[in-house]
Amino acid sequence: MASSNTIRILDGNTFVVSQDTGDIEATPSEPTGLFSIDTRFLSEWILTVNGERLNALSYDDLQYYEARFFLVPGMATHYIDAKLSIIRERAVGGSFREQVTILNHDEKPVDLEIRMEAGSDFADLFEVKDEIVNKKGETYAEPEEDRLRLGYRRGNFVRETIISSSEPARYDRNGFAYSVHLEANEQWETSIDVHTVALGPGGRDLRMGLQAHGTERLALEHDLQEWIARAPKVNSEHEDLAATYRRSLVDLAALRFSPLSLRGQALPAAGLPWFMTMFGRDSILTCLQVLPFAPELSKTTLRILAALQGTRFDDFRDEDPGRILHEMRYGETAAFEEQPHSPYYGSVDATPLFVVLLDEYERWSGDVALVRELEPECRRALRWIDDYADLVGNGYIWYERRNADTGLENQCWKDSWDSISYSDGTLPPFPRATCEVQGYAYDAKLRAARMAREFWGDPAYADQLEREAAQLKERFNRDWWVADGEFYALGLDPDGRQCDVLSSNMGHLLWSGIVDHDRAERVAEHLVSDRLFTGWGVRTLAAGEVRYNPIGYHNGTIWPFDNSFIAWGLRRYGFAEEAGTIASGILDAARYFDGRLPEAFGGYPREQTKFPVEYPTACSPQAWSTGAPLLLIRTMLGLEPHEGHLAVDPVLPVGMGRIEVLDIPGRWGRVDAFARGRLELHHTRSAPTAA
Amino acid sequence: MDATTRFFEDLDRRGYDPALAKASGKLRFDLQQGAQTTHWLLEIDRGNLRVTQDDREADTVIGTSPETFEEIAAGRGNGMAALLRGDMTVTGDPRLVAQVERIFPGPAESTGPRRLFRREVR
Repeated sequence: MASSNTIRILDGNTFVVSQDTGDIEATPSEPTGLFSIDTRFLSEWILTVNGERLNALSYDDLQYYEARFFLVPGMATHYIDAKLSIIRERAVGGSFREQVTILNHDEKPVDLEIRMEAGSDFADLFEVKDEIVNKKGETYAEPEEDRLRLGYRRGNFVRETIISSSEPARYDRNGFAYSVHLEANEQWETSIDVHTVALGPGGRDLRMGLQAHGTERLALEHDLQEWIARAPKVNSEHEDLAATYRRSLVDLAALRFSPLSLRGQALPAAGLPWFMTMFGRDSILTCLQVLPFAPELSKTTLRILAALQGTRFDDFRDEDPGRILHEMRYGETAAFEEQPHSPYYGSVDATPLFVVLLDEYERWSGDVALVRELEPECRRALRWIDDYADLVGNGYIWYERRNADTGLENQCWKDSWDSISYSDGTLPPFPRATCEVQGYAYDAKLRAARMAREFWGDPAYADQLEREAAQLKERFNRDWWVADGEFYALGLDPDGRQCDVLSSNMGHLLWSGIVDHDRAERVAEHLVSDRLFTGWGVRTLAAGEVRYNPIGYHNGTIWPFDNSFIAWGLRRYGFAEEAGTIASGILDAARYFDGRLPEAFGGYPREQTKFPVEYPTACSPQAWSTGAPLLLIRTMLGLEPHEGHLAVDPVLPVGMGRIEVLDIPGRWGRVDAFARGRLELHHTRSAPTAA
Repeated sequence: MDATTRFFEDLDRRGYDPALAKASGKLRFDLQQGAQTTHWLLEIDRGNLRVTQDDREADTVIGTSPETFEEIAAGRGNGMAALLRGDMTVTGDPRLVAQVERIFPGPAESTGPRRLFRREVR
């Protein structure tokens, strides 16, 4: 169902997006190019033979970091007579390498003029995203004897693309060319190296020694094999499930990203193409999703986020002491402080979720040392919740950006401008609070209480946190429950008025445990009702709400990550069937995307469209969508650390057949889990009637 | 006294910063202006701090102009942005830089969260 025919290869935050011929011809509406550290290093990369553009016969994306294109000269209508074929093989990993092979199938010799147009606008990723490239510095092109140097300079900020070739080429300002004579049935090849450079005044690259793993092709291949070998095996009668799992595992490997300044450690970047960087929220939620399968990501993510925890007030960056970062960027707009991402702290959920992840990670890994190591950061995060996030003074986490120009208006996961509204469709004033974040705070306090009691030797602090959590739960259930609709409000405004729309956010409340037991059933019914559940998944906003739109980014689309946490929450409160219904829907949808769930897809009813409609500009692969099938597997199998061992309590829908997950790592060493589908799904999907 | 001197003298006087409790190492700042270079050597031992103006070997060396550093020490400039801009360079272990960057002051005019405590909800 993928709407675009662009081919993407990536390694960490270096990636190439091209047409299916391998050509790059960036236009404002076509964000193709070679990108690294949030900068486009190639915006033009067009191969011609005797002045003719090439046509794609087929392509192959062999691994996430390499692709191969089979091409012939001329247009589709007459390529049948082609006597030449051209193969482009490319890989990223540190630099970008392309091998071009030309085969003469004719019985006569040929003379060929082979040319690559090469150019770069050195656009910052933000400029590409906003479709405004307005450079303040100057670009240059310097052809040399054995290379072409494309560059951009603004003060001391220098970015260069250096292109060289194994076969001698003639370099000019706009590219390079070869004159080749090929005998009958002869072939010719050249290897092109495109090196990206980010120089400081001392001539040293900013990224020195920052790779998480080797960047040569063989090293990448070896690393991927090891990554897969380390992860548990998933076998399933439902073949698609095993394929989806494998796809997810490979995409997770691809999304690993090693930030500047913390060399060698990797955490999941958020997603291709716009978010190949570290995000507090996305990285933490992805780590939570994949804990049973790739626990080591949690350790590095926690350490990195701890190292960059806020220490001061900086209104431009929305930084406070104790706050966990939202987003880090390395491009020109961050460097010149035209954007605040150096790093930007404007999110209110990353801070409580940081505490939640640390506790969950310990429950799986038994890594007490890390819990002790990060005690100060945890205490600072909890202090932030009480001291700096409660803008109204009534015991909730609120947000209001201090950076009014480039900061985020909505600092929850639904961060588009119109995602939080009242039921009449109007938008509330600031500060705003959203429900799921209060759940995270509740969970963070309870989990921190456990850590304080068991590992920090501070039972008094544990008691205090538990008391605060109990008070928060009581307050929350009083202030946020929409009595006539019987659901939790999406948000509150500073006067305490509810944003009384039915939304997916309630599902996260179940995961956090803040829902009163006598209300949980009502919440579960809503989540699988026709208004929210489409047959594929739970919509971000219920049908019937004023702002509902099946392709509204946060107002009606389905987010696989959101659904995975909702299913986890349903399971926590004992609604295994409802959890299974959502898990089945999302995993069914994954089949239509070859196992790679996009960021979001349309909230149309399943029977209406028959297939999940991809959201137009959705990111793919995206870390927390990649993690969703893994969390759904955990949820269906009921995997839960319990007193030092792994409890397994499967409730699988019948269609899933038999599933086995082998070698689940944790404090128990490695254990296997088996399950067979026995659950008949027969929920009626009618809207619950108000009592 | 300029903000640079104040910043280092303050560190030396405090002798300890909890934000650097996990950091150990020597960090040298080379502030270059023409042929003249001013050195500040910050020795960190699990949060214990000692500042001298010695030009001795360090695990990490930061190079920048006195003007750029003055801006950062006064809270008007941001170290991470200066690094990305190429106005500041790092040789050696970059982790120390990320840790030390956290102890620089924020902008003086940044007042932090805007609370509405006057309002009593319910």
